[in-house]
Amino acid sequence: MSNMKENTKGSSDLLDIDDDDPLSATSVSKKSLVIFFLIDTSGSMKGKKMGELNTVMEELIPEIRRVGEADTEVKIAVLTFGTQVRWMYSEPIPIEDFEWARLRADGVTSMGEAFKELNSRMSRNGFLNSPSLSFAPVIFLMTDGYPSDDYKEALAELKNNSWYKFGLKAALGIGSEANDDMLAEFTGSKDTVVHAYSGGQLAQMIKIIAVTSAQIGSKSMTLSDDTNHELSEEEVRSAKQKLLGQQIQDSMTNLGDADTMSFDTGW
Amino acid sequence: MVELAIGQEVEMEYGGRAQVLGVIGSGGQGIVYLVRYNGMKWALKWYDIDKIRNPKAFRQNIKNNITDGPPSNKFLWPKYLTKENEEGTFGYLMELKPDSFDSFVDILNTYKLSVDPLTGRSTKKPVRFTSLYAMVTAVINIVNAFRQLHRAGKSYQDLNDGGFFINVDTGAVLVCDCDNIAPDGNNFGIGGKPGYMAPEVVRGVAKPNVQTDKYSLAVVLFKLLFRGDPMEGEKVVKDVCLTESSELKHYGQNAVFVYDPEDSSNRPVRGIHDNVIKFWRIYPDYIKDAFILSFTSGITEPTKRIIENEWQKLFIRLRSEIIQCGCGRTNFSCMFERPDIKTFKCPKCGTMFGTLKFNNRNYRTPLYLGSVFYECEIDPESEDFQTVAGELVENRLKPGVLGFKNTSSKTWRAKMPDGDFYEIPPGKGFPVWQGLEIKFGDVSATL
Repeated sequence: MSNMKENTKGSSDLLDIDDDDPLSATSVSKKSLVIFFLIDTSGSMKGKKMGELNTVMEELIPEIRRVGEADTEVKIAVLTFGTQVRWMYSEPIPIEDFEWARLRADGVTSMGEAFKELNSRMSRNGFLNSPSLSFAPVIFLMTDGYPSDDYKEALAELKNNSWYKFGLKAALGIGSEANDDMLAEFTGSKDTVVHAYSGGQLAQMIKIIAVTSAQIGSKSMTLSDDTNHELSEEEVRSAKQKLLGQQIQDSMTNLGDADTMSFDTGW
Repeated sequence: MVELAIGQEVEMEYGGRAQVLGVIGSGGQGIVYLVRYNGMKWALKWYDIDKIRNPKAFRQNIKNNITDGPPSNKFLWPKYLTKENEEGTFGYLMELKPDSFDSFVDILNTYKLSVDPLTGRSTKKPVRFTSLYAMVTAVINIVNAFRQLHRAGKSYQDLNDGGFFINVDTGAVLVCDCDNIAPDGNNFGIGGKPGYMAPEVVRGVAKPNVQTDKYSLAVVLFKLLFRGDPMEGEKVVKDVCLTESSELKHYGQNAVFVYDPEDSSNRPVRGIHDNVIKFWRIYPDYIKDAFILSFTSGITEPTKRIIENEWQKLFIRLRSEIIQCGCGRTNFSCMFERPDIKTFKCPKCGTMFGTLKFNNRNYRTPLYLGSVFYECEIDPESEDFQTVAGELVENRLKPGVLGFKNTSSKTWRAKMPDGDFYEIPPGKGFPVWQGLEIKFGDVSATL
């Protein structure tokens, strides 16, 4: 009897009986995309700005959820910087499971520290450890002021990080204190920097930037309409970053002034 | 982007208004809303007109498609155009997908998210084919839908996983997103979805057409059967970060099929591409050969790509080779043992299955209680792969005695144990025996 069993096994080397069900598939191997939100939680963000930001971020999560579809697993990592630099969760969280933990504002603007922290985690051994293919990350910076620490050196180091280099970068300045030139230093171009002066604008801009960059980031290269020649590597390099800048600028021109009450009045 | 608000009304081209009831989904070119029009619910695709290169020509093309009508009832085809609003934005109405259909995306994911409208929390619900039969039938239906489309002289242009709904119990298929469908040779700016686009489109040297559709169709079929990307293997994973340049390389300039027999540089990686590794062992050679051809010579020579009719024949054969053993094992006949040329044996329980040899096939078709053959398999003129022409049944009065039942509309002739041929009119049956011969007309079969 035992002999017979062995025989069956021997002859079915090719047929692994336990695992040949044509219907039992696992989910297709997904590419992964991490969206980094770098959020200023310094004291000046207190009140309406932080209230608006918390609300819009909560509302944003379900919208981003629809973006990845079958091919891409979208994960979220939130790094906040006030006096201290802190991750909302100890690792990037898949968008299906992500829950926004409301932020509070306090202290100074340690943006340089935040760049250092981001640089150290943006690696294969850190937050970008998906075994399968990864798209370059989306990095979205939001701040209402100027760094209170020396950010230049930290930013220079960050710029040597390959993930950062290939990543999609966008920045949102909140209120009149935020410095667009400094933010353009971060993103690498003015096109991907926008400025919100009111709560309504803040909400709209966060949504536009986050959804647009998630869409572009997770959908990989799209064909440009007017190509009719063999594309070179040179032409497609940074195509996504350019597209992001273009789409953000297009969206901004269509943006209505949702409310006129400025962040910088009435304090 | 001009978004519509719930409750808002949109004027239809030929009068009447469609009222927005909710959002169904969003895509690259616009948003799909649930609307009410003339007392019925419809889906309204509403364009982000900034994303359409030439809105006038695009609208005219949809109008032409509406006039031409769908190639078959497998398409959720544009039905009515709306008027253009002041910004030039417009949309069209199409029928809603029935609840019994799931999106291809969810099938690839193996689950769908169901979101609680109150808390916003999402839970995963499994989405799987309930039988191998349904899965292969879905493949045949997809191939057939594109055959019909291409025969109508049109190309789909951006064939991808977002383009289908499938009933996982029956294999019925609905093709959606039909708004970029255009006469072959025309293109309104859509490039397609990376991973599904033909390499020449990725490289920028061709616009979508019927030939590039064929490549995309092969990718869709590969993904449905092998549950992975045909071009994503070791070579691609080495890049770690998929930049624009690496996509141009791996899907355009230097695309290498994961099972290219001549080039092993891009084999699937265990731990990442387990589905592909597993399923590549399961499918018969004639299916694998068709994919190898599509993704090797078919990369550089569009005319070498498998035509729909060929795919259809291969998958009709594959469907006829599914064996459902009484022990619960269901698989393709190539995964059963072959003690002799005329017999398959279940490797799990040892049950033996006889076979039928059709005179127009160079392979033997396995038989088991409940196995069927279709019109197209017994009539070379027929394209009907859905009507069951014959079935292997158990005699109601003599348990244990198996026979064929003629469920077609034609009379067959069958050789009985007395050595004579008898007429078998529709609805009648005859026993299976060692010397059985069946004459269906031009096609005949022997046990």
